Amino acid sequence: MPSRTSCTCTSIHASGRRETLATTIVSEASRRATALRDRATFDLMRFRKFLLLLLHDKLAAAGLVIIAAFIFISIAAPLLVGPYPTQFDRTKAMQPPSNAHPFGTDWQGFDVLKLVVYGGRVSILIGFISSIVAMLLGTSVGLVAGYYGRVTDQLLSRATDFFLVIPWLPFVLILVAILGSSLATIIFAIAIVSWPTTARIIRAQVLTVKERQFIERARAVGAGNGFILRKHILPNVMPLVWAEAVLTISSAVFTEAFLSFFGLGWRGPGAVESWGQIANEAYVNSALLRGLWLYFAPPGIFITLVVLGFAMLGYGLEEVLNPALKRRV
Amino acid sequence: MWLIASLNFFIVQVLPGDPTRVLLPRGSSNVTQGGSDLRAQLIRQWGLDQPITTRYVVYFANLAQGNLGTTITYQKGGFPVAGVIAPRLSTTLVLVGLATAATMWLGIVLGRISGWRRGRRVDVAITMGTLVGYSMPSFWVSLMLIFALAYIVPIFPAYGVQSRDAATFDPLTRVLDQLYHYFLPVLTFVITNVAWFSLTLRNSLTDTLPEDYMLTAMAKGLTQKQQLRKHAMPNARLPVLTASALYFGWVVSGAIVIEEVFNIPGLGQLTWDATRVRDFPLLSGVFLVATLGVVVANAVADVLYLYLDPRVREA
Repeated sequence: MPSRTSCTCTSIHASGRRETLATTIVSEASRRATALRDRATFDLMRFRKFLLLLLHDKLAAAGLVIIAAFIFISIAAPLLVGPYPTQFDRTKAMQPPSNAHPFGTDWQGFDVLKLVVYGGRVSILIGFISSIVAMLLGTSVGLVAGYYGRVTDQLLSRATDFFLVIPWLPFVLILVAILGSSLATIIFAIAIVSWPTTARIIRAQVLTVKERQFIERARAVGAGNGFILRKHILPNVMPLVWAEAVLTISSAVFTEAFLSFFGLGWRGPGAVESWGQIANEAYVNSALLRGLWLYFAPPGIFITLVVLGFAMLGYGLEEVLNPALKRRV
Repeated sequence: MWLIASLNFFIVQVLPGDPTRVLLPRGSSNVTQGGSDLRAQLIRQWGLDQPITTRYVVYFANLAQGNLGTTITYQKGGFPVAGVIAPRLSTTLVLVGLATAATMWLGIVLGRISGWRRGRRVDVAITMGTLVGYSMPSFWVSLMLIFALAYIVPIFPAYGVQSRDAATFDPLTRVLDQLYHYFLPVLTFVITNVAWFSLTLRNSLTDTLPEDYMLTAMAKGLTQKQQLRKHAMPNARLPVLTASALYFGWVVSGAIVIEEVFNIPGLGQLTWDATRVRDFPLLSGVFLVATLGVVVANAVADVLYLYLDPRVREA
């Protein structure tokens, strides 16, 4: 970045007169535009190649299809099943499946199909955001631990191992029980148990990258630690971060389901029930004992499919982006 | 150990959120005793008015004596947490032990088949099947199993650890009766966790089989069974043991859900109850015990690793 700006400045200074300055700016702008377009075409080609590779991997392709389907259903929910129910109607509660309600109704008299379609919004959204937070945390810890080594690495690695082995369910339960079931605390709690794997993998990758020659060269021409980390090491571990992010969405959706099943799902004004919460309410209202299995089964099936979809895509990404890790199938 | 206890202390004591709110109803200043008085009394009783460092020292002093505090709401409160946890520990250990043994056994069998027949139809079926099982939330699997095998087709008991008239049975029948009751919980556990062992074993077999010594073993004319048992497995099972470090954390989570659903009076069910009534001392006590259990299990796995590694064992 600095080199490009300084280049423009010298040409402006050298030309001196006003018109030339204008032409310089225009030509510089068009040069940049061309470069940008070339870059975009290149990226597009790369992306296409990448997509082809990904689709070639059956596992990843199947995962992608599942995820795309669920994201579509979640976004198009109002079009598919109409607005989210808000009016309690206990007279219609716990009805068996009928033509009007294919999956029956829940304890509040809401249509289960509607709830399940909307539930994906919460489950997947929480999965996405938790994964982003976990990636920020895990990548930073992995980068710092791997790059600085010594005591820093010792401390951070111990912490990572510690968070890796503690039983995640009671930990998440305690956190949310104490902090309250708002969207932010749920995401925070899930992120806290999700980052260690990423930190570990990123750290291992940083260890190999930092020994490479170009790092030494960068240091020789005077690059600082922060610059090297940002400009040289981060781009080299980024592919892994993407793969990890997708895998983490999978585990985050899973964790959220458990949290909700224990009655600690998203509560508050405007809250939409997640799949885990639907399952919880079905369980608490003993839907299965009343034979209303279509109330209980769908949320579980959807959770399984989404978790599986993200996991398959994640494993596929890992293989495509990092051939060194290729699982010999 | 110290780290776990500190984290535990930190969660309950330092994070925002007022534990007194749980006990006192909202806007309880109109209550006969006077809400604020009651609240102040509680704060004094729990030492919440002390500075944080004092509370930290007190917490550890109590911990050293096995004092985990008293429950807030569980059974109307006031019970020592350690006393509530202790009798339930053995039930949980039985469940977890049975479940882990079954999962490990099936995982090793499946992993051996799919590693040996890598890329074949059997392998694809096993890999996909275990992955699907792994992606299913255990609360859902257990309830669907109950629905299918205890409700629609009533073959297995839906809940509990023994029959109602178990006291009249002779010892052998009693053990069989308990095993019968543990079948569905253990099955749930196996379905959701078998991937841990089958997939790691498969992957480590994949690394082991192309080795030169496997070729030598084949050249010597050993049968497939001998090749596997004597040459491939001793090396391939080491990574499986390493992977179990993560598995133990999942055991706890699985046990919590399964105990609640199957109504098994163990630590897991306690966690469910404590969560529902927001009994923080009890919840944090369970968390402490569970984490300690995981740490101990990991230590055992490390020792086992030393024993199973032929290079170390011979030395």
